[in-house]
Amino acid sequence: MRYLLTIVADGMPEPEKLAVLQRECPRWVHEMDGRGVRLLGRELDPPEATTTVRVRHGETLVTDGPFAETKEFMAGLDIIECANLDDAIEVAASHPVSWYTAIEVRPFAGDLHLGEAAAAFARGDACGEPFLLVTWMGGTPATPVHDQAVADEGDGWRRDLDRRGLHVLGDALGRPDTATTVRVRDGSTLLADGPFVQGEDFIASIDVVRCQDRQEAVELAASHPVARHHAIEVRPFCNE
Amino acid sequence: MTVKPDVRQAVDAAFRNEWGRVVATLIHRTGDWDLAEECAQEAFAEALRRWPSDGVPHRPGAWLTTVARNRAIDRLRRSERGLQLHEQIGREAMLDDITGGSTPVARAREIEDDRLRLLFTCCHPALSLECRVALTLRSVAGLSTAEIARAFLVPEATMAKRLTRSKAKITAAGIPFRVPPAHVLPERIDGVLAVLYLTFNEGYSATSGAELIRTRLCDEAIRLARALHELMADEPEVTGALALMLLHHSRRHARVGPDGELVTLEEQDRDRWDCAEIEEGQGLVEEALHESRVGPYQLQAAIAACHAGAAAIHDTDWAEIAGLYALLEDQCPSPVVRLNRAVAVAMGGDIDAGLAMVEALTSDPRLERYYLLEATRADLLRRSGALGRAQAAYARAIPLAPTDVERRFLERRLAEVRATGADESGPRPS
Repeated sequence: MRYLLTIVADGMPEPEKLAVLQRECPRWVHEMDGRGVRLLGRELDPPEATTTVRVRHGETLVTDGPFAETKEFMAGLDIIECANLDDAIEVAASHPVSWYTAIEVRPFAGDLHLGEAAAAFARGDACGEPFLLVTWMGGTPATPVHDQAVADEGDGWRRDLDRRGLHVLGDALGRPDTATTVRVRDGSTLLADGPFVQGEDFIASIDVVRCQDRQEAVELAASHPVARHHAIEVRPFCNE
Repeated sequence: MTVKPDVRQAVDAAFRNEWGRVVATLIHRTGDWDLAEECAQEAFAEALRRWPSDGVPHRPGAWLTTVARNRAIDRLRRSERGLQLHEQIGREAMLDDITGGSTPVARAREIEDDRLRLLFTCCHPALSLECRVALTLRSVAGLSTAEIARAFLVPEATMAKRLTRSKAKITAAGIPFRVPPAHVLPERIDGVLAVLYLTFNEGYSATSGAELIRTRLCDEAIRLARALHELMADEPEVTGALALMLLHHSRRHARVGPDGELVTLEEQDRDRWDCAEIEEGQGLVEEALHESRVGPYQLQAAIAACHAGAAAIHDTDWAEIAGLYALLEDQCPSPVVRLNRAVAVAMGGDIDAGLAMVEALTSDPRLERYYLLEATRADLLRRSGALGRAQAAYARAIPLAPTDVERRFLERRLAEVRATGADESGPRPS
């Protein structure tokens, strides 16, 4: 099964923690790549660099900053392949970020396809600039919606982008209650049932697109069916 | 048609003994929790229809499993779930395998293993504790959604949603249907025991509410602990947890008075304790301690065994109990354990030392609203003769008491202390 690991942060780590993270994260990546568990992963720019996109009455509304003003935020992501949730939890618990903040483990809803564009993105040599589009659903939608219908439209949107060579990877995620949040404290693995963001709104899918610039990424987000009912975050990746 | 009482009994017994086995076998073969439950349900309904005329089969479990399996095959064939043909054939082959292939002994072992897999899967730590308890009672023990809802005082629709959500997560998130591998087994066994002990306590602690369903919770927790003990006899904490439940359970008739009032250990009529359960519990404690891998359940069971072994409160070996609490506090430091240790010290004769330990706990924020802290303090002050301070402590404890039964008990004590205090209000000889 393919799982999304959401790397959760709550601000800039203190110097001693940062030192551990800078030492241990590459070790984790090296080990998981070696075992064939980690398919790809990237760090994101801080949440201040986020643009939130909504479409209402045919008009695209763009705001600076993240959709959810939470203390904890997505600081990066990894996609892993594991036989079952137990293995995925072990992989997450061995990631140093879980020792300080948390890692959310969530299955993808379908079979996440990773093609040549994803491989290039994983190597860091994708042409154009990659952006992460995070779709938020739940809460109070602008218009009554049927989640499944939106998800189906999302598949159509993906196929369209794929044809235009703009889609790198992405798929719908399992419902929020399929998520497990992993924290390691005093050497014990603590599990919480549910996503790291507790509340009515939840992350429903993630996609990576490649664009000329942020403006194009915002336009792609606005063309996503969820933008009409909920909101899409456009997040740049960290330059490595 | 009315069902003869003995057949009804046979079906009830089969339900209690076989439900978890039938469901576990079908889940393992099909991976489909709803299908498994529905087909098990139908098999039991079929038993109710056919056993009165056909007689109770020689091996009810095998009969039920076969009927449930046939139902599952029928449903898969008629399935509109959009199964791929190869998936369907694969599942049918898995189901066929239930009744053929291996030797009867190997099959019996496989069925027991499936039941163990089901229990560990229902108690998986990626599910919330309330989901784990609900799912265990539904899938392993066979309680209906309505019964579980009643036991936990939530609307049936809420409980149904909780169960659906739990099963959906198991499938969608890839929670494996298995007994966990050795390196995580100890912590996962702890997780299963936590679910069983919580279920037991939910049934045992509350003295009000729907009496029948609460009795059922205790019975099911003990039954599942017994099954786990049979399957993992070399895990001393499992043995300890079973012993602990049996030893508590042995006092169930003596701990509540005729008007539903709480009767303290000290005042309980020990003739009303269940000797058979005490004997079994004590035997299990010895069996567990023999393994020399002491854990919290074993220690608590050993403490309960000390109480159970005393013919009267005065015969209680308080020194032994205080020592066991000290060991327990080493293993799992908690203010509640310390409070219990303080009581044992005080009851062992050193009231001042016990009282000092209790007083020290009053500054612990974790016990801020814990009624037993003030209640214990009040009791020890009463025993030491400090009646005025005892009254004040009872007055603080009463508003914190969680149930009417406990509140009435404290009010009765307070009245007694007031009456005694009034008698002694004159100048006391020193």
